[in-house]
Amino acid sequence: MNIPDTDRSFVVIGENVHTTRVILRKGKLIGDDPQGVESVRFRDGEGKRRFLEIPEKVKTTQDYEEGRVKHLKIAVQQAMLGSADAMDYIRRQVQRQDDAGTHFLDLNVDEISLKEEEQKESMRWLVGTVSAMSETPLSIDSSKIEILEAGLEAGASHPKRMLLNSASLERPEALDLAKKFNAQIVVTAAGESGMPQSAEGRVGHAGQMIDKALALDLPLADLYIDPLIFPISVDSQFGHHSFDAIRQLREAYGPDIHITGGFSNVSFGLPCRHLINDVFLLLAVEAGADSAIMDPTTAALGKIFTMNRDARPYQLAEDMLLGKDEYCAAFLRAYRKGELNS
Amino acid sequence: MAELKDIANEFIRDEIEEFIERPDEIERIINLFVNASERMQDISAALIDGNHETVNELTSQALTDNIEASEVMDNGLIAGMAIVGIKFRENFIFVPEVLACARAMKAGMAHIEPILSASGIEPVGVAVMGTVKGDLHDIGKNLCIMMLRGAGFVVHDLGVDTSEDQFIDAIEEHDVHLIGMSALLTTTMPNMGKTIEAFIDADLRDDVKIMVGGAPVTQEFADDMGADGYGKDALDCVSKAKELLAERAAEA
Repeated sequence: MNIPDTDRSFVVIGENVHTTRVILRKGKLIGDDPQGVESVRFRDGEGKRRFLEIPEKVKTTQDYEEGRVKHLKIAVQQAMLGSADAMDYIRRQVQRQDDAGTHFLDLNVDEISLKEEEQKESMRWLVGTVSAMSETPLSIDSSKIEILEAGLEAGASHPKRMLLNSASLERPEALDLAKKFNAQIVVTAAGESGMPQSAEGRVGHAGQMIDKALALDLPLADLYIDPLIFPISVDSQFGHHSFDAIRQLREAYGPDIHITGGFSNVSFGLPCRHLINDVFLLLAVEAGADSAIMDPTTAALGKIFTMNRDARPYQLAEDMLLGKDEYCAAFLRAYRKGELNS
Repeated sequence: MAELKDIANEFIRDEIEEFIERPDEIERIINLFVNASERMQDISAALIDGNHETVNELTSQALTDNIEASEVMDNGLIAGMAIVGIKFRENFIFVPEVLACARAMKAGMAHIEPILSASGIEPVGVAVMGTVKGDLHDIGKNLCIMMLRGAGFVVHDLGVDTSEDQFIDAIEEHDVHLIGMSALLTTTMPNMGKTIEAFIDADLRDDVKIMVGGAPVTQEFADDMGADGYGKDALDCVSKAKELLAERAAEA
């Protein structure tokens, strides 16, 4: 999908193949299979009803007891052990993102294990597996350089260029990996010893990384800058920090560089997260963002870009994101009155 | 046995009726308030409402009228926060509303703290908090610190990317009861275990209670790492901290 009033494509980095992903046990996606085993229900590519069984071992975990099922973690673990259901579950997640027009399939296995060897093995396996399911370029995502490297190595023969997610001042050596594997790269605005506290901090950190990237001859068009999006529930000025940083980055580096982010962070700790995420995305694009790390199957860009900006829910979310609603008080008041569901 | 109608303040009665469902908690909360004077209940009500200006005024007036600082803290502020904690746990209120209550709590504590420390009254507890090595995330940790301070703890904040040595130095420097470690990344979580091992090597493990938290952290992980407690959010952190202090006192 193009960004409104431009001929430029909005780059979607689809984040659905993450071992962190959770579905709620009480939701309609969870049900018993014909053998009576609690499972994640799904339909495969042919529309056939299928079941990803929840292993007994998972049922003793705190996540499960509190009603959360880490479905992708289960799928990756079980598929690696040879489960055809689990394999088709992953295939379905990939297909659904492809159908929604994702530009990259972001793969993250950090939560698969606490052991680096197992994390690396899972990443190699997942890269090979997803490459065989889809021609969409892969995004190799980890907070650990060794796992990033394992994924890039495994994907070296992929016909399309990969995206490395991510480098920052605390992990600048990831830029060398991008160079070595001819990958594009997400660069976050994290500092060497702390998170940025302002728009200027974000631009400063990102700028240092951009300089390092240019010194390695990585072109601006290969860089995806993530200014870091913090929850508006914690500080009403956090929206401003992001939008101002996006504007300043776009102004300073011109049209070639990509500006992205994990936008759904913004709604952490609040109800009606989809509304907040959609409005944030629209405002971020207006500020100059041209990409997002997001779930492409639930956020429909066409709908977001044409939202009714006179509607009250939109305006409440916008006011909140622009720092005009201290402690999100008006937004939450409207939520309790049922005024946000339209 | 005390009953809901024994609580003078209507706002508090409504809050209990509307938001507290577990019978044991209803009983505990009622007992908390029946012994509080009406003035203290007014402070609690303003705090639950997130009204920092009113908490500020009422606390200051109460102290001017020679009500004990510890009474204002326990029966006014901490009692109010108990209801806030339950409402948050049960998803009746959201993060920004808890923060507004925390701001009100802070407004009250600003009057109380100097009096308590001048009269040599020990703080509820002394904690050292930090995000573990390799991890720069601090939003969750900062919320925990705010809540702990609101509950009367003295907290030394070591910030982010905290090395084992920084934790150890902090224990040696302050008379610490409690260590809180935070991590947001699966890849930095193991550093909690490494830090605990470093405490053991330095022969400091038995001096402190250790609690851990952060999005990917679970009770099982906390147990595996040899931590004493796990808090799933900032308010849970405060209740765990109090439990651990009680354990520590019982062991001493």
